[in-house]
Amino acid sequence: MSTYARPLEVLIDELGRLPGIGPKSAQRIAFHLLNVDRVDVSRLSEALIDVKDKVSFCERCFNVAEGPLCEICNDPSRDHDVICVVEEPKDIAALERTGAFRGRYHVLMGAINPLEGIGPEQLKVKELATRIASEDIEEIIICTNPNLEGETTAAYIARMLKSFDMIKVTRLASGLPVGGDLDYADELTLGRALEGRSAL
Amino acid sequence: MKLHQIWLTDFRSHADLSLTFSEGLTAVIGPNGSGKTNLLEAIGVLSRLRSFRGVSNDRLLRREQPRAIVRAQGERDGRDVLIELELSSGRSTVFVNKQRLPRNRDLLGALRVTVFAPDDLSLLKDGPSVRREYLDDLLIALDTRNDAVIADYARVVKQRNTLLKQAKGRLDDAAELTLDVYDTQLSALGERLTYLREHVLSALMPRVANAYTMLAGTECSVVASYRRSWEGDGMLEAVQEARAQDLARSTTSMGPHRDEVSLRIDEFDSRTEASQGEQRTLALALRFAGHELVTEHVKEPPLLLLDDVLSELDEARATALLTNLPVGQTLITSATELPASVRPDAIVRFPIINLTTLDTEPDQVVEVLTDG
Repeated sequence: MSTYARPLEVLIDELGRLPGIGPKSAQRIAFHLLNVDRVDVSRLSEALIDVKDKVSFCERCFNVAEGPLCEICNDPSRDHDVICVVEEPKDIAALERTGAFRGRYHVLMGAINPLEGIGPEQLKVKELATRIASEDIEEIIICTNPNLEGETTAAYIARMLKSFDMIKVTRLASGLPVGGDLDYADELTLGRALEGRSAL
Repeated sequence: MKLHQIWLTDFRSHADLSLTFSEGLTAVIGPNGSGKTNLLEAIGVLSRLRSFRGVSNDRLLRREQPRAIVRAQGERDGRDVLIELELSSGRSTVFVNKQRLPRNRDLLGALRVTVFAPDDLSLLKDGPSVRREYLDDLLIALDTRNDAVIADYARVVKQRNTLLKQAKGRLDDAAELTLDVYDTQLSALGERLTYLREHVLSALMPRVANAYTMLAGTECSVVASYRRSWEGDGMLEAVQEARAQDLARSTTSMGPHRDEVSLRIDEFDSRTEASQGEQRTLALALRFAGHELVTEHVKEPPLLLLDDVLSELDEARATALLTNLPVGQTLITSATELPASVRPDAIVRFPIINLTTLDTEPDQVVEVLTDG
Protein backbone atom coordinates (compact mmCIF):
# COMPACT_ATOMS: atom_id res chain seq x y z
CA MET A 1 0.00 0.00 0.00
CA SER A 2 1.55 3.26 -1.10
CA THR A 3 -0.68 6.18 -0.27
CA TYR A 4 2.02 8.85 -0.33
CA ALA A 5 5.03 9.65 -2.50
CA ARG A 6 7.78 7.11 -1.88
CA PRO A 7 10.28 9.37 0.00
CA LEU A 8 7.50 10.37 2.38
CA GLU A 9 6.56 6.71 2.95
CA VAL A 10 10.20 5.93 3.73
CA LEU A 11 10.37 8.78 6.24
CA ILE A 12 7.14 7.68 7.96
CA ASP A 13 8.48 4.13 8.23
CA GLU A 14 11.79 5.33 9.69
CA LEU A 15 10.10 7.60 12.24
CA GLY A 16 7.69 4.82 13.17
CA ARG A 17 10.65 2.67 14.24
CA LEU A 18 11.59 5.13 16.99
CA PRO A 19 10.56 4.24 20.53
CA GLY A 20 7.27 5.74 21.66
CA ILE A 21 6.25 6.80 18.15
CA GLY A 22 3.25 5.05 16.62
CA PRO A 23 2.10 5.17 12.99
CA LYS A 24 -0.13 8.20 13.59
CA SER A 25 2.63 10.25 15.27
CA ALA A 26 5.12 9.22 12.58
CA GLN A 27 2.75 10.52 9.93
CA ARG A 28 2.21 13.79 11.79
CA ILE A 29 5.97 14.40 12.25
CA ALA A 30 6.66 13.52 8.62
CA PHE A 31 4.11 16.05 7.38
CA HIS A 32 5.46 18.64 9.79
CA LEU A 33 8.97 18.14 8.39
CA LEU A 34 7.58 18.45 4.87
CA ASN A 35 6.13 21.85 5.75
CA VAL A 36 9.01 23.48 7.65
CA ASP A 37 11.95 25.37 6.08
CA ARG A 38 14.81 23.44 4.56
CA VAL A 39 17.29 25.00 7.07
CA ASP A 40 15.34 23.61 10.02
CA VAL A 41 15.38 20.14 8.52
CA SER A 42 19.09 20.25 7.73
CA ARG A 43 19.79 21.38 11.30
CA LEU A 44 17.91 18.36 12.53
CA SER A 45 19.68 16.00 10.14
CA GLU A 46 23.06 17.44 11.15
CA ALA A 47 22.19 16.96 14.79
CA LEU A 48 21.33 13.32 14.09
CA ILE A 49 24.61 12.64 12.30
CA ASP A 50 26.60 14.64 14.88
CA VAL A 51 25.27 12.62 17.77
CA LYS A 52 26.38 9.42 16.07
CA ASP A 53 29.79 10.78 15.07
CA LYS A 54 30.74 12.76 18.15
CA VAL A 55 29.06 11.06 21.07
CA SER A 56 30.23 7.73 22.34
CA PHE A 57 30.23 6.00 25.67
CA CYS A 58 32.75 6.87 28.37
CA GLU A 59 35.52 4.28 28.52
CA ARG A 60 35.43 4.25 32.29
CA CYS A 61 31.81 4.64 33.37
CA PHE A 62 29.78 4.18 30.13
CA ASN A 63 28.02 7.49 30.48
CA VAL A 64 27.55 9.37 27.20
CA ALA A 65 30.75 11.26 26.36
CA GLU A 66 32.21 13.54 23.72
CA GLY A 67 35.72 12.16 24.09
CA PRO A 68 37.16 8.97 25.55
CA LEU A 69 35.98 10.02 29.02
CA CYS A 70 32.73 11.70 30.03
CA GLU A 71 32.50 15.13 31.65
CA ILE A 72 32.03 13.68 35.12
CA CYS A 73 35.03 11.35 34.89
CA ASN A 74 37.10 14.28 33.58
CA ASP A 75 36.05 16.57 36.45
CA PRO A 76 38.88 16.59 39.05
CA SER A 77 36.58 18.05 41.73
CA ARG A 78 34.40 14.92 41.86
CA ASP A 79 34.98 12.51 44.73
CA HIS A 80 36.98 9.48 43.64
CA ASP A 81 35.99 7.12 46.42
CA VAL A 82 32.21 6.83 45.80
CA ILE A 83 30.54 5.25 42.77
CA CYS A 84 26.85 5.35 42.04
CA VAL A 85 25.73 2.35 39.93
CA VAL A 86 22.82 3.07 37.58
CA GLU A 87 21.01 1.20 34.79
CA GLU A 88 21.00 3.86 32.04
CA PRO A 89 22.84 7.12 31.22
CA LYS A 90 19.54 8.96 31.66
CA ASP A 91 19.56 7.94 35.34
CA ILE A 92 22.78 9.94 35.75
CA ALA A 93 20.97 13.05 34.51
CA ALA A 94 18.25 12.46 37.12
CA LEU A 95 20.79 12.06 39.95
CA GLU A 96 22.80 15.06 38.76
CA ARG A 97 19.71 17.26 38.95
CA THR A 98 19.59 16.56 42.68
CA GLY A 99 23.01 18.18 43.10
CA ALA A 100 23.34 15.96 46.18
CA PHE A 101 25.88 13.53 44.80
CA ARG A 102 29.53 14.53 44.28
CA GLY A 103 31.00 11.14 43.40
CA ARG A 104 31.21 9.38 40.07
CA TYR A 105 29.03 6.90 38.24
CA HIS A 106 28.96 3.52 36.59
CA VAL A 107 26.33 2.71 33.96
CA LEU A 108 25.36 -0.96 33.67
CA MET A 109 23.50 -0.48 30.37
CA GLY A 110 20.43 -2.36 31.55
CA ALA A 111 19.28 -4.76 34.24
CA ILE A 112 19.31 -8.54 34.58
CA ASN A 113 16.28 -9.89 32.74
CA PRO A 114 16.53 -13.46 31.41
CA LEU A 115 13.15 -13.11 29.67
CA GLU A 116 14.74 -10.49 27.44
CA GLY A 117 17.98 -12.38 27.13
CA ILE A 118 19.94 -10.05 29.42
CA GLY A 119 22.30 -11.70 31.87
CA PRO A 120 25.27 -10.24 33.79
CA GLU A 121 27.51 -10.81 30.73
CA GLN A 122 25.43 -8.41 28.68
CA LEU A 123 25.85 -5.71 31.34
CA LYS A 124 28.91 -3.67 32.32
CA VAL A 125 29.27 -5.68 35.53
CA LYS A 126 32.73 -7.09 34.89
CA GLU A 127 33.92 -3.55 34.11
CA LEU A 128 32.62 -2.45 37.51
CA ALA A 129 34.64 -5.17 39.24
CA THR A 130 37.76 -4.09 37.31
CA ARG A 131 37.23 -0.49 38.39
CA ILE A 132 36.87 -1.50 42.02
CA ALA A 133 40.08 -3.51 41.85
CA SER A 134 42.06 -0.67 40.25
CA GLU A 135 40.54 2.53 41.69
CA ASP A 136 40.57 3.57 45.31
CA ILE A 137 36.86 3.14 46.09
CA GLU A 138 35.23 3.12 49.52
CA GLU A 139 31.52 3.03 48.78
CA ILE A 140 29.28 1.69 46.03
CA ILE A 141 25.73 3.07 45.97
CA ILE A 142 23.42 0.84 43.95
CA CYS A 143 20.76 2.97 42.26
CA THR A 144 18.99 0.46 40.01
CA ASN A 145 15.24 0.87 39.47
CA PRO A 146 12.93 -0.18 42.34
CA ASN A 147 11.31 -2.94 40.25
CA LEU A 148 11.94 -6.67 40.26
CA GLU A 149 14.69 -6.56 37.59
CA GLY A 150 16.40 -3.66 39.34
CA GLU A 151 16.28 -5.46 42.69
CA THR A 152 17.70 -8.63 41.11
CA THR A 153 20.56 -6.63 39.61
CA ALA A 154 21.21 -4.85 42.93
CA ALA A 155 21.32 -8.18 44.80
CA TYR A 156 23.64 -9.63 42.14
CA ILE A 157 26.12 -6.77 42.45
CA ALA A 158 25.99 -6.87 46.25
CA ARG A 159 26.84 -10.58 46.18
CA MET A 160 29.56 -10.11 43.61
CA LEU A 161 31.18 -7.40 45.75
CA LYS A 162 31.21 -9.55 48.89
CA SER A 163 34.80 -10.54 48.18
CA PHE A 164 35.85 -6.87 48.41
CA ASP A 165 35.28 -6.59 52.14
CA MET A 166 36.80 -3.11 52.44
CA ILE A 167 33.98 -1.61 50.38
CA LYS A 168 30.69 -0.40 51.76
CA VAL A 169 27.76 -1.38 49.50
CA THR A 170 24.54 0.61 49.91
CA ARG A 171 21.18 0.70 48.18
CA LEU A 172 19.04 3.73 47.45
CA ALA A 173 16.18 4.01 49.98
CA SER A 174 12.59 3.96 48.78
CA GLY A 175 9.97 6.27 50.19
CA LEU A 176 7.54 9.06 49.53
CA PRO A 177 7.77 11.83 46.96
CA VAL A 178 8.57 15.14 48.66
CA GLY A 179 5.94 17.86 48.44
CA GLY A 180 3.15 15.41 47.65
CA ASP A 181 0.11 14.41 49.65
CA LEU A 182 0.22 11.19 51.63
CA ASP A 183 -3.27 10.57 50.33
CA TYR A 184 -2.00 10.28 46.74
CA ALA A 185 0.79 7.79 47.43
CA ASP A 186 0.10 4.28 46.20
CA GLU A 187 -0.15 1.60 48.87
CA LEU A 188 3.11 -0.12 47.91
CA THR A 189 5.24 3.00 48.18
CA LEU A 190 3.54 4.06 51.39
CA GLY A 191 3.94 0.54 52.82
CA ARG A 192 7.67 0.57 52.04
CA ALA A 193 8.07 4.05 53.45
CA LEU A 194 6.42 2.85 56.65
CA GLU A 195 8.81 -0.11 56.88
CA GLY A 196 11.81 2.17 56.32
CA ARG A 197 10.68 4.86 58.79
CA SER A 198 13.30 6.67 60.84
CA ALA A 199 13.37 8.03 64.41
CA LEU A 200 12.89 11.76 64.97
CA MET B 1 -19.07 0.55 46.62
CA LYS B 2 -22.73 0.40 45.69
CA LEU B 3 -23.56 0.16 42.02
CA HIS B 4 -26.45 2.31 40.87
CA GLN B 5 -26.27 2.23 37.13
CA ILE B 6 -24.26 0.63 34.36
CA TRP B 7 -23.84 1.37 30.66
CA LEU B 8 -22.29 -1.06 28.21
CA THR B 9 -21.15 -0.18 24.69
CA ASP B 10 -20.01 -2.93 22.33
CA PHE B 11 -19.32 -5.26 25.23
CA ARG B 12 -19.81 -8.89 24.08
CA SER B 13 -23.39 -9.18 22.78
CA HIS B 14 -24.44 -5.77 24.11
CA ALA B 15 -24.18 -2.98 21.52
CA ASP B 16 -25.75 -0.46 23.83
CA LEU B 17 -27.25 -1.26 27.22
CA SER B 18 -28.15 0.79 30.23
CA LEU B 19 -29.46 -0.64 33.49
CA THR B 20 -30.34 0.58 36.96
CA PHE B 21 -29.84 -1.65 40.00
CA SER B 22 -31.58 -1.82 43.33
CA GLU B 23 -29.51 -1.56 46.53
CA GLY B 24 -30.69 -5.01 47.58
CA LEU B 25 -31.41 -8.03 45.40
CA THR B 26 -31.79 -7.44 41.66
CA ALA B 27 -32.87 -10.43 39.59
CA VAL B 28 -31.98 -10.56 35.90
CA ILE B 29 -34.29 -13.06 34.25
CA GLY B 30 -34.25 -14.13 30.63
CA PRO B 31 -33.68 -17.07 28.29
CA ASN B 32 -30.27 -18.57 27.58
CA GLY B 33 -28.16 -16.49 25.23
CA SER B 34 -29.87 -13.20 26.05
CA GLY B 35 -26.70 -11.66 27.52
CA LYS B 36 -27.26 -12.11 31.27
CA THR B 37 -23.81 -13.51 32.02
CA ASN B 38 -22.20 -10.88 29.78
CA LEU B 39 -23.68 -8.23 32.05
CA LEU B 40 -22.20 -9.85 35.17
CA GLU B 41 -18.90 -10.32 33.35
CA ALA B 42 -18.78 -6.57 32.62
CA ILE B 43 -19.24 -5.81 36.32
CA GLY B 44 -16.54 -8.36 37.11
CA VAL B 45 -14.14 -6.61 34.70
CA LEU B 46 -14.76 -3.30 36.49
CA SER B 47 -13.65 -4.97 39.68
CA ARG B 48 -10.69 -7.06 38.57
CA LEU B 49 -9.74 -5.61 35.17
CA ARG B 50 -10.09 -9.07 33.69
CA SER B 51 -12.88 -11.48 32.97
CA PHE B 52 -13.90 -14.05 35.55
CA ARG B 53 -14.46 -16.40 32.62
CA GLY B 54 -10.69 -16.45 32.11
CA VAL B 55 -10.57 -14.97 28.61
CA SER B 56 -8.36 -12.17 27.33
CA ASN B 57 -9.74 -8.66 26.92
CA ASP B 58 -10.00 -8.80 23.13
CA ARG B 59 -12.66 -11.50 23.52
CA LEU B 60 -14.82 -9.00 25.41
CA LEU B 61 -15.34 -6.76 22.39
CA ARG B 62 -18.48 -7.05 20.31
CA ARG B 63 -17.78 -8.67 16.97
CA GLU B 64 -15.60 -6.50 14.71
CA GLN B 65 -15.60 -3.57 17.12
CA PRO B 66 -12.23 -2.00 18.03
CA ARG B 67 -13.18 -1.23 21.62
CA ALA B 68 -15.78 -1.71 24.32
CA ILE B 69 -16.81 0.72 27.03
CA VAL B 70 -18.07 -0.16 30.48
CA ARG B 71 -19.35 2.78 32.53
CA ALA B 72 -20.69 2.48 36.02
CA GLN B 73 -22.16 5.04 38.36
CA GLY B 74 -22.05 4.15 42.03
CA GLU B 75 -21.52 5.39 45.52
CA ARG B 76 -18.62 4.90 47.90
CA ASP B 77 -18.47 6.29 51.44
CA GLY B 78 -21.46 8.48 50.57
CA ARG B 79 -19.76 10.01 47.52
CA ASP B 80 -20.66 9.53 43.88
CA VAL B 81 -18.15 7.56 41.84
CA LEU B 82 -18.12 7.21 38.08
CA ILE B 83 -15.85 4.48 36.72
CA GLU B 84 -15.22 4.30 33.00
CA LEU B 85 -13.27 1.51 31.42
CA GLU B 86 -12.27 1.43 27.80
CA LEU B 87 -11.23 -2.01 26.64
CA SER B 88 -9.39 -2.73 23.43
CA SER B 89 -7.21 -5.55 22.17
CA GLY B 90 -4.20 -3.55 23.35
CA ARG B 91 -4.06 -1.56 26.54
CA SER B 92 -7.16 -0.66 28.49
CA THR B 93 -7.70 2.75 30.01
CA VAL B 94 -9.52 3.52 33.24
CA PHE B 95 -11.11 6.79 34.28
CA VAL B 96 -12.48 7.47 37.75
CA ASN B 97 -14.66 10.57 37.98
CA LYS B 98 -13.35 11.55 34.53
CA GLN B 99 -9.73 11.47 35.74
CA ARG B 100 -7.53 8.93 34.02
CA LEU B 101 -5.76 6.59 36.44
CA PRO B 102 -1.97 6.61 36.05
CA ARG B 103 -1.89 2.86 36.58
CA ASN B 104 -4.85 0.60 35.91
CA ARG B 105 -4.18 -1.49 38.99
CA ASP B 106 -5.09 1.53 41.12
CA LEU B 107 -8.67 0.55 40.32
CA LEU B 108 -8.34 -2.74 42.22
CA GLY B 109 -10.23 -2.50 45.47
CA ALA B 110 -12.57 0.29 44.28
CA LEU B 111 -15.35 -2.14 43.44
CA ARG B 112 -15.15 -5.52 45.12
CA VAL B 113 -17.24 -8.38 43.76
CA THR B 114 -17.81 -12.01 44.66
CA VAL B 115 -18.86 -14.20 41.76
CA PHE B 116 -20.77 -17.47 41.99
CA ALA B 117 -20.76 -19.07 38.57
CA PRO B 118 -21.54 -22.49 37.08
CA ASP B 119 -17.82 -22.85 36.33
CA ASP B 120 -17.21 -22.92 40.08
CA LEU B 121 -17.55 -26.68 39.96
CA SER B 122 -14.09 -26.66 38.42
CA LEU B 123 -12.82 -25.44 41.81
CA LEU B 124 -13.15 -29.03 42.93
CA LYS B 125 -12.98 -31.01 39.70
CA ASP B 126 -9.92 -29.42 38.10
CA GLY B 127 -6.25 -29.51 39.03
CA PRO B 128 -4.64 -27.60 41.92
CA SER B 129 -4.07 -24.35 39.98
CA VAL B 130 -7.75 -23.32 40.23
CA ARG B 131 -7.71 -23.72 44.03
CA ARG B 132 -4.47 -21.73 44.31
CA GLU B 133 -6.06 -19.03 42.18
CA TYR B 134 -9.15 -19.06 44.39
CA LEU B 135 -6.99 -18.35 47.47
CA ASP B 136 -4.95 -15.72 45.61
CA ASP B 137 -8.09 -13.90 44.42
CA LEU B 138 -9.31 -13.89 48.00
CA LEU B 139 -5.98 -12.47 49.21
CA ILE B 140 -6.24 -9.62 46.71
CA ALA B 141 -9.84 -8.91 47.73
CA LEU B 142 -8.74 -8.73 51.38
CA ASP B 143 -5.75 -6.49 50.74
CA THR B 144 -4.81 -5.15 47.32
CA ARG B 145 -1.14 -5.04 48.35
CA ASN B 146 -1.14 -8.84 48.17
CA ASP B 147 -1.47 -8.41 44.41
CA ALA B 148 2.17 -7.25 44.35
CA VAL B 149 3.38 -10.36 46.24
CA ILE B 150 1.48 -12.66 43.89
CA ALA B 151 2.59 -10.85 40.72
CA ASP B 152 6.24 -10.53 41.82
CA TYR B 153 6.38 -14.19 42.80
CA ALA B 154 5.00 -15.25 39.40
CA ARG B 155 7.56 -13.03 37.68
CA VAL B 156 10.49 -14.47 39.65
CA VAL B 157 9.34 -18.01 38.76
CA LYS B 158 9.20 -16.99 35.09
CA GLN B 159 12.64 -15.34 35.16
CA ARG B 160 14.18 -18.26 37.05
CA ASN B 161 12.69 -20.81 34.61
CA THR B 162 14.02 -18.79 31.67
CA LEU B 163 17.47 -18.71 33.24
CA LEU B 164 17.34 -22.48 33.82
CA LYS B 165 16.36 -23.05 30.18
CA GLN B 166 19.15 -20.77 28.94
CA ALA B 167 21.69 -22.60 31.11
CA LYS B 168 20.99 -25.87 29.26
CA GLY B 169 22.03 -27.90 32.28
CA ARG B 170 25.33 -26.10 32.89
CA LEU B 171 26.02 -23.00 34.96
CA ASP B 172 28.92 -20.61 34.50
CA ASP B 173 29.91 -18.33 37.40
CA ALA B 174 27.67 -15.44 36.36
CA ALA B 175 24.63 -17.67 35.81
CA GLU B 176 25.23 -19.42 39.13
CA LEU B 177 25.36 -16.13 40.99
CA THR B 178 22.23 -14.93 39.18
CA LEU B 179 20.48 -18.16 40.16
CA ASP B 180 21.55 -17.59 43.79
CA VAL B 181 19.85 -14.20 43.66
CA TYR B 182 16.67 -15.67 42.16
CA ASP B 183 16.64 -18.45 44.77
CA THR B 184 16.70 -15.85 47.53
CA GLN B 185 13.96 -13.75 45.94
CA LEU B 186 11.88 -16.85 45.17
CA SER B 187 12.14 -18.04 48.77
CA ALA B 188 11.37 -14.68 50.38
CA LEU B 189 8.30 -14.08 48.19
CA GLY B 190 7.36 -17.77 48.25
CA GLU B 191 7.39 -17.99 52.04
CA ARG B 192 5.32 -14.83 52.25
CA LEU B 193 2.75 -16.19 49.76
CA THR B 194 2.62 -19.58 51.51
CA TYR B 195 2.06 -17.86 54.86
CA LEU B 196 -0.72 -15.68 53.40
CA ARG B 197 -2.46 -18.64 51.79
CA GLU B 198 -2.25 -20.85 54.87
CA HIS B 199 -3.58 -18.03 56.99
CA VAL B 200 -6.50 -17.18 54.78
CA LEU B 201 -7.38 -20.87 54.44
CA SER B 202 -7.53 -21.42 58.19
CA ALA B 203 -9.68 -18.30 58.62
CA LEU B 204 -11.91 -19.55 55.83
CA MET B 205 -12.56 -23.16 56.78
CA PRO B 206 -14.98 -22.72 59.73
CA ARG B 207 -17.06 -20.50 57.46
CA VAL B 208 -16.95 -23.05 54.64
CA ALA B 209 -18.17 -25.78 57.02
CA ASN B 210 -21.02 -23.54 58.24
CA ALA B 211 -22.06 -22.58 54.73
CA TYR B 212 -21.96 -26.21 53.63
CA THR B 213 -24.16 -27.29 56.52
CA MET B 214 -26.59 -24.43 55.80
CA LEU B 215 -26.87 -25.37 52.13
CA ALA B 216 -26.98 -29.14 52.59
CA GLY B 217 -29.40 -28.93 55.49
CA THR B 218 -27.49 -31.54 57.50
CA GLU B 219 -24.44 -31.31 59.75
CA CYS B 220 -21.27 -32.11 57.78
CA SER B 221 -17.59 -31.77 58.49
CA VAL B 222 -15.54 -30.02 55.84
CA VAL B 223 -11.79 -30.00 56.33
CA ALA B 224 -9.06 -28.50 54.19
CA SER B 225 -5.36 -29.09 54.16
CA TYR B 226 -2.74 -26.94 52.50
CA ARG B 227 0.04 -29.13 51.13
CA ARG B 228 3.32 -27.37 50.52
CA SER B 229 5.56 -28.50 47.70
CA TRP B 230 8.55 -28.01 50.00
CA GLU B 231 9.42 -29.28 53.45
CA GLY B 232 11.48 -27.91 56.31
CA ASP B 233 11.72 -24.57 58.07
CA GLY B 234 13.00 -22.42 55.27
CA MET B 235 12.08 -22.49 51.62
CA LEU B 236 15.57 -21.37 50.55
CA GLU B 237 17.09 -24.62 51.74
CA ALA B 238 14.53 -26.67 49.80
CA VAL B 239 15.08 -24.59 46.67
CA GLN B 240 18.86 -24.99 46.91
CA GLU B 241 18.56 -28.74 47.41
CA ALA B 242 16.37 -29.01 44.33
CA ARG B 243 18.77 -27.04 42.15
CA ALA B 244 20.34 -29.98 40.31
CA GLN B 245 16.93 -31.38 39.53
CA ASP B 246 15.58 -27.96 38.50
CA LEU B 247 18.56 -27.44 36.25
CA ALA B 248 18.05 -30.80 34.56
CA ARG B 249 14.33 -30.17 33.99
CA SER B 250 14.61 -26.41 33.32
CA THR B 251 11.79 -25.68 35.72
CA THR B 252 11.22 -24.53 39.29
CA SER B 253 9.93 -27.46 41.36
CA MET B 254 9.61 -25.90 44.82
CA GLY B 255 7.32 -23.11 45.90
CA PRO B 256 3.69 -22.02 46.25
CA HIS B 257 3.12 -22.32 42.49
CA ARG B 258 3.27 -26.09 43.06
CA ASP B 259 1.26 -26.27 46.28
CA GLU B 260 -2.09 -28.03 46.59
CA VAL B 261 -5.23 -27.44 48.62
CA SER B 262 -7.29 -30.55 49.26
CA LEU B 263 -10.74 -30.57 50.77
CA ARG B 264 -12.56 -33.42 52.47
CA ILE B 265 -16.28 -33.72 53.16
CA ASP B 266 -16.98 -36.11 56.05
CA GLU B 267 -13.59 -37.76 55.47
CA PHE B 268 -14.15 -38.21 51.72
CA ASP B 269 -11.86 -36.55 49.24
CA SER B 270 -13.89 -33.85 47.51
CA ARG B 271 -12.15 -34.24 44.19
CA THR B 272 -12.31 -38.00 43.71
CA GLU B 273 -14.88 -39.37 46.14
CA ALA B 274 -17.64 -36.76 46.45
CA SER B 275 -20.79 -36.79 44.33
CA GLN B 276 -21.48 -34.08 41.77
CA GLY B 277 -24.15 -32.61 44.07
CA GLU B 278 -21.72 -32.48 47.01
CA GLN B 279 -19.09 -30.85 44.84
CA ARG B 280 -21.60 -28.21 43.69
CA THR B 281 -22.61 -27.48 47.26
CA LEU B 282 -19.00 -27.27 48.40
CA ALA B 283 -18.05 -24.95 45.52
CA LEU B 284 -20.91 -22.68 46.52
CA ALA B 285 -19.87 -22.90 50.20
CA LEU B 286 -16.32 -21.84 49.24
CA ARG B 287 -17.63 -18.75 47.45
CA PHE B 288 -20.05 -18.00 50.26
CA ALA B 289 -17.33 -18.28 52.91
CA GLY B 290 -14.91 -16.14 50.90
CA HIS B 291 -17.58 -13.49 50.58
CA GLU B 292 -18.20 -13.53 54.34
CA LEU B 293 -14.51 -13.23 55.10
CA VAL B 294 -14.03 -10.25 52.76
CA THR B 295 -17.17 -8.60 54.14
CA GLU B 296 -15.76 -8.78 57.67
CA HIS B 297 -12.47 -7.20 56.61
CA VAL B 298 -13.59 -4.35 54.42
CA LYS B 299 -16.00 -1.58 55.28
CA GLU B 300 -18.45 -2.29 52.52
CA PRO B 301 -19.55 -5.81 51.59
CA PRO B 302 -18.56 -6.83 48.06
CA LEU B 303 -21.19 -6.84 45.37
CA LEU B 304 -22.46 -10.39 45.07
CA LEU B 305 -22.89 -11.73 41.53
CA LEU B 306 -24.79 -15.02 41.27
CA ASP B 307 -24.62 -16.29 37.73
CA ASP B 308 -27.21 -18.94 36.91
CA VAL B 309 -26.62 -20.85 40.15
CA LEU B 310 -30.25 -21.88 40.58
CA SER B 311 -30.22 -24.26 37.62
CA GLU B 312 -27.67 -26.36 39.45
CA LEU B 313 -29.39 -26.63 42.80
CA ASP B 314 -32.51 -28.43 43.92
CA GLU B 315 -35.39 -26.31 45.24
CA ALA B 316 -34.42 -26.77 48.91
CA ARG B 317 -30.79 -25.73 48.39
CA ALA B 318 -31.73 -22.85 46.11
CA THR B 319 -34.13 -21.52 48.75
CA ALA B 320 -31.53 -22.07 51.49
CA LEU B 321 -28.99 -20.08 49.47
CA LEU B 322 -31.29 -17.19 48.60
CA THR B 323 -32.86 -16.81 52.04
CA ASN B 324 -29.43 -16.87 53.73
CA LEU B 325 -27.75 -14.39 51.40
CA PRO B 326 -25.41 -12.09 53.26
CA VAL B 327 -26.42 -8.45 53.50
CA GLY B 328 -25.37 -6.19 50.68
CA GLN B 329 -26.08 -5.58 47.06
CA THR B 330 -26.74 -8.74 45.06
CA LEU B 331 -27.36 -9.52 41.41
CA ILE B 332 -28.70 -12.87 40.34
CA THR B 333 -29.24 -14.16 36.82
CA SER B 334 -31.64 -16.95 36.07
CA ALA B 335 -33.37 -18.50 33.07
CA THR B 336 -36.37 -19.32 35.26
CA GLU B 337 -38.36 -17.43 37.88
CA LEU B 338 -36.93 -17.35 41.42
CA PRO B 339 -38.45 -19.66 44.04
CA ALA B 340 -41.77 -18.26 45.27
CA SER B 341 -40.46 -17.58 48.78
CA VAL B 342 -37.80 -15.19 47.51
CA ARG B 343 -38.82 -11.60 46.77
CA PRO B 344 -36.22 -9.58 44.86
CA ASP B 345 -36.24 -5.77 45.14
CA ALA B 346 -36.13 -5.36 41.38
CA ILE B 347 -36.48 -7.57 38.33
CA VAL B 348 -34.84 -6.88 34.99
CA ARG B 349 -36.11 -8.93 32.06
CA PHE B 350 -33.82 -9.87 29.19
CA PRO B 351 -33.68 -9.61 26.25
CA ILE B 352 -34.02 -5.89 26.44
CA ILE B 353 -35.58 -4.64 23.25
CA ASN B 354 -33.45 -1.70 22.31
CA LEU B 355 -35.41 0.78 20.28
CA THR B 356 -32.97 3.66 20.46
CA THR B 357 -32.45 3.50 16.71
CA LEU B 358 -36.13 4.33 16.26
CA ASP B 359 -35.75 7.31 18.58
CA THR B 360 -38.25 5.94 21.03
CA GLU B 361 -37.72 5.85 24.74
CA PRO B 362 -37.48 3.01 27.17
CA ASP B 363 -34.55 0.77 26.44
CA GLN B 364 -35.14 -1.37 29.45
CA VAL B 365 -38.03 -2.96 31.22
CA VAL B 366 -37.73 -2.85 34.98
CA GLU B 367 -40.37 -3.92 37.42
CA VAL B 368 -39.86 -2.60 40.89
CA LEU B 369 -41.67 -4.73 43.39
CA THR B 370 -42.96 -3.40 46.63
CA ASP B 371 -44.06 -5.37 49.63
CA GLY B 372 -47.71 -6.25 49.95
